[in-house]
Amino acid sequence: MSAPALWGARAGAGWRASPAFLLVAALLLAGVLAVQAGAVPVAGRDWWALLGPPASATDAPAGLSGGAYVLWHIRLPRAVFAMLVGASMGLAGALTQGLFRNPLADPGLLGVSAGAACAAALTIVLVSGPVLALPQAWRVWTLPVAAFAGALGVCFTLDRVARWITPGSISGLLLTGVALNALAAAVIGLCTYLATDEQLRSLSFWTLGSLAGAQWGLVLLMGALLLAAVWPLRQLVRSLNALALGEAAAAHVGVDVQRLRSRVIVLVAVLAGFSVAWCGMIGFIGLIAPHLVRVWVGGDQHRVLPLSLLMGGLLLLLADTLARTVAIPAEIPVGIFTALLGSPFFLFLLRGARGRIA
Amino acid sequence: MSTLLTLEAATLDVAGQRFGPFSLQVAAGERVAVLGPSGAGKSTLLKLMSGERPPAEGQVLFQRRATAEWPLAALSQHRAVLPQAGDVAFGLQTELVIGLGRVARAHDPHLASVVRDAAGLAHAGHLLGRRFDTLSGGEQARVQLARIFAQLWDTRQGLVLVDEPLAALDPGLQCELLDSLDHYASTRQHALVAILHDINQALAGFDRLLLIRGGGLVADLPATAPALPALEALYGVSLSCFTDAHGALVVAPLRQPRGKVPALALPGEALA
Repeated sequence: MSAPALWGARAGAGWRASPAFLLVAALLLAGVLAVQAGAVPVAGRDWWALLGPPASATDAPAGLSGGAYVLWHIRLPRAVFAMLVGASMGLAGALTQGLFRNPLADPGLLGVSAGAACAAALTIVLVSGPVLALPQAWRVWTLPVAAFAGALGVCFTLDRVARWITPGSISGLLLTGVALNALAAAVIGLCTYLATDEQLRSLSFWTLGSLAGAQWGLVLLMGALLLAAVWPLRQLVRSLNALALGEAAAAHVGVDVQRLRSRVIVLVAVLAGFSVAWCGMIGFIGLIAPHLVRVWVGGDQHRVLPLSLLMGGLLLLLADTLARTVAIPAEIPVGIFTALLGSPFFLFLLRGARGRIA
Repeated sequence: MSTLLTLEAATLDVAGQRFGPFSLQVAAGERVAVLGPSGAGKSTLLKLMSGERPPAEGQVLFQRRATAEWPLAALSQHRAVLPQAGDVAFGLQTELVIGLGRVARAHDPHLASVVRDAAGLAHAGHLLGRRFDTLSGGEQARVQLARIFAQLWDTRQGLVLVDEPLAALDPGLQCELLDSLDHYASTRQHALVAILHDINQALAGFDRLLLIRGGGLVADLPATAPALPALEALYGVSLSCFTDAHGALVVAPLRQPRGKVPALALPGEALA
């Protein structure tokens, strides 16, 4: 597969009309918009202070002041972080839907995100409490690793239990997701009940979902993680397409379905788990992004996966910008915002799938 | 002719029921029809033959090597399976669906031309460029057949397994697709094993009949007139037999004459 085909350029159409180009352009525009919008105005000279003459570069970034400080330390990392997290979610959603051969599958709806949040909540209450005091250097990693483990656990449970109880059934899969979501919510509730005041504050962050923790360090980590997840995908794309034929037919054309499933599951768990670990539960991006992409360019995973990544980044960036600016100076957690917009969209999808759900 | 596929007392358990033991051989280039009532175990036999399920007991050897020991990718370049009903998720383009037959080939420079030729042979050339989920049932069957054609397009002496591909199609399309399947298999010396419901199709286009009933193989015989008593026993019907203008054997199941069926009086009629 050549690079233009991979990135969605239509044969015959110019590169300017390719969905990838349009999405990247939209991402840049949304990025500028996101950085400009907010309580503190950012002027041209603040950009100049960042990029420009060495006078400010000698003491930058620590010596930045006013708008330039907001730009470098708050707005820019947040915008980039929103793009990266959204991209992870879009990609995780596209992978989940490919894995379960179902456009209604989404890490949020299936309980993967809730499983990650549940593991994170348990970690907050049990590990970082007085019960088990860990060295400070480890603490940065305990939550992400716990969330990843939680996501992985739910993924494997879904894969095994849903196939065992209700083999081949779309509604069986979603209902298993409902059960896992309920279980995770119960455990999170239990954690809330047991938590101290201080723990409670960080707990509510997980359940609401917010990008307020964005900083350059996290941006780098998330970017590295996304790269690490995208790299092995190049070999999986063809096999994922074959999975659309059904598992038996995919095996007949020579795809090792079991191996493919476990690799995709680990990727989904990495993407969804770490997103949840650093931003809490932000739903529906993984459902909506691949759906929009498929309506646009069709179902070929060579195009769906990379474009879902871009679309997810765009959607979360826009949602976060809105969440930040609708009620200035207050800020709505973006997880609430995506759920408000995403739930009606899911109902709309259900309506379209009417008759095909069995 | 060399032996392509060997089943030695192979059994398989499906949903608590034991199927088999099946013992049979398929030679390269042979055309075998599998017949039997619904639920007799025809699809189970096909699962064993394709290597989709390893046998619970006994052996299934493809080219003298157990199917379970074949790497999936290598096996897929010698054996193709056309499933009963194949839905394709996500509305892929037809040429992509056809090309998926060759997904296991790491390097495939002729993919585009193979896809085009395979589509042409399956009478699906005019469907290229459309989305699979927008096609009618008959058109989807042609595309799935083209996918099988593409899979073994440039190999010789492979094995093509077909599970009731024609059941839901109109007679014209059935003949068309059987003809292309026959042409495809004979030019490449592929052995063809097909589950069929139509006795006439089995008699006309195939060398051998495998008769399956009650989870086991009841007869394995040439597709000629002497097979008719076995077929009557298989389905529990009497067959009337003709020879058409071209000398080919044509059979039709014989229904009970109307007078012999005990008439049930409707309650209203009894009162009148």
